Amino acid sequence: MASIKFKNVIKSFDDGKVTVIPDLSFEIKDKEFVVLVGPSGCGKSTTLRMIAGLEDVSGGELYIDDKKVNNIAPKDRDIAMVFQSYALYPHMSVYKNMAFALKLRKMPKKEIDEKVRWAASILNIEPYLDRRPGALSGGQRQRVALGRAMVRNPKVFLLDEPLSNLDAKLRTEMRSQITMLHKRLQTTFVYVTHDQTEAMTMADRIAVMDKGVIRQYDTPQKLYSEPADMFVAGFIGSPRMNFIDCTVIRKGKIFYVEFSGEMMRIPSAKAKNLASYENRRVILGIRPEHITEHTGGEIAEENCVITAKAEIAEMTGGEVNVYFDVGSRRCIARIRTDRKIASGETVRLLFDCNTAHFFDKDTSKAIGTV
Amino acid sequence: MKSKSRKNNATVYAVLFLLTALFISPVFIVLMNSFKGNFFISDEPFSLPVGEKFAGFDNFIKGFTQSDFLSAFVNSLLITVISVAGIVLLTSMAAWYIVRVGNRFTKLLYYLFTFSMIVPFQMVMYTVTYLAFELNLNSISGIVFIYLGFGSGLSVFMFSGFIKSIPTEIEEAAVIDGCDPIRTFFMIVFPILRPTAITVAILNAMWVWNDYLLPYLVLGSGEKRTLPVAVQMALTGGYGNKDMGALMAMLVLAIVPIIVFYLFCQKYIIKGVVAGAVKG
Repeated sequence: MASIKFKNVIKSFDDGKVTVIPDLSFEIKDKEFVVLVGPSGCGKSTTLRMIAGLEDVSGGELYIDDKKVNNIAPKDRDIAMVFQSYALYPHMSVYKNMAFALKLRKMPKKEIDEKVRWAASILNIEPYLDRRPGALSGGQRQRVALGRAMVRNPKVFLLDEPLSNLDAKLRTEMRSQITMLHKRLQTTFVYVTHDQTEAMTMADRIAVMDKGVIRQYDTPQKLYSEPADMFVAGFIGSPRMNFIDCTVIRKGKIFYVEFSGEMMRIPSAKAKNLASYENRRVILGIRPEHITEHTGGEIAEENCVITAKAEIAEMTGGEVNVYFDVGSRRCIARIRTDRKIASGETVRLLFDCNTAHFFDKDTSKAIGTV
Repeated sequence: MKSKSRKNNATVYAVLFLLTALFISPVFIVLMNSFKGNFFISDEPFSLPVGEKFAGFDNFIKGFTQSDFLSAFVNSLLITVISVAGIVLLTSMAAWYIVRVGNRFTKLLYYLFTFSMIVPFQMVMYTVTYLAFELNLNSISGIVFIYLGFGSGLSVFMFSGFIKSIPTEIEEAAVIDGCDPIRTFFMIVFPILRPTAITVAILNAMWVWNDYLLPYLVLGSGEKRTLPVAVQMALTGGYGNKDMGALMAMLVLAIVPIIVFYLFCQKYIIKGVVAGAVKG
């Protein structure tokens, strides 16, 4: 059980010529399940590898359980890692793969056997203990990799995109299995993925990374409802948030936002943050699931309705993803409807300003998240 | 359609059978003649050793006793086993270092190793022999170092190809599990390299065991002589007194160990040759 602390950590390659992590400071609490998420090349795997000790820390300090580990070898950090490609030893049986680390630590054979069988029974891999990894399916191999980490009873579990090689169905199964494992083992988990669904469903807290910088580090709910900037807002949620150029207008004491020739009253709670943006252009962000089809009735002042052509309409079951244009921006609305919306059809879409986000056009930061 | 493909198959099999017979025939002729008397070897070299032509194991006994076969056999065995073991162990380690470190120095090293493959022995024969004598490498233990040099090019090339296909994550997992570099190599990397190691061992064993020129130049034809040199000596032992029967028997005895070794390891050679060819 351990906490992890990054204090102004820098990581560079090629003798400092290429810096991938410019200055990283954050803390992972004991027993927490933290997911590092971000696009390819954002530095999430490098961050994980620095915790593992597989990459040197170029600058700053890294602590595991208040102990500085910058110069401590991976084997002495009391961590276990699950790799994307499973990294099982192909010449050893499943049993030997799981027992290997314990054997190196000269643990008595009886104890090794108990631990291996304990992990195997939790992961349902007991029937495969004598098989070699080559004779197992992807899901079974991933469970063996998890078992190999479990038997060590490490302070920290590090998981580097462990589900990305599995098919969609197996990924969903393994996702819940890893979450249950975390609850059962009560250990610190650090999980790297580029899949925001994995991050949202598994994490206690998520660190959204971009270009070696953490853009926001918060609970999944907060990331969804109060994104710190346009990057986070666009990364979290599927389909991604719509961004529309608009102008903040004041009429008396009331603030409105104008886009596509329509006016929408800004709720008072949000309006006070937008006061300094009067007559300025801002970015309005609205999630596809917060745009509904207007089928008639009165339109509240905090809502507006625009008429748009459904460029593409994708049926996804109980919902239809409607692609439409607002100015030069392509937007998506996820509409719950039983009726079939055809591509090319004209639809009336209702925007609710209560669910909207506003971002500074220059800095892309959220304007006073409420 | 079916009969056409059958016809094609029959043609292919016939050609393959002829080629096989052609390749096996020298070995078969030697084996056949090793059981025949000297007169029948020169008179009827292609006839089977039956009836009065069959000489039993006389040739083998003569070859074994007259040529000090045993000492030459032991010399060859020692040189082959130690050289091959050294080549496999050291070149696999060198290849691992070259592939995993991957800097300018290791790239240069790799090119030097591969370049050494294309240098024919005859080109460096004089200098190597001269150096071997200067450095006192003209001994059983000394020639092993020379074989190590000549065998390392192809071996490093083959090992490097295979190591490139091993995901580094496996080695990183070993490091996290508690392995230092030596343990990582011997407990994880080397066992994975086994098919390539066996292929390298077979290729080098065949070459070292059968090599004539290098041991003749460096070790000479005295008490340090190897099996191929001993066979040659038996052939030219006395003018006009060639014991062809004993010679054939010695050839058979010299071939047997390497054939047994090859058959024993044959199933691995295919794996080793194709290993690393495709990303799996």
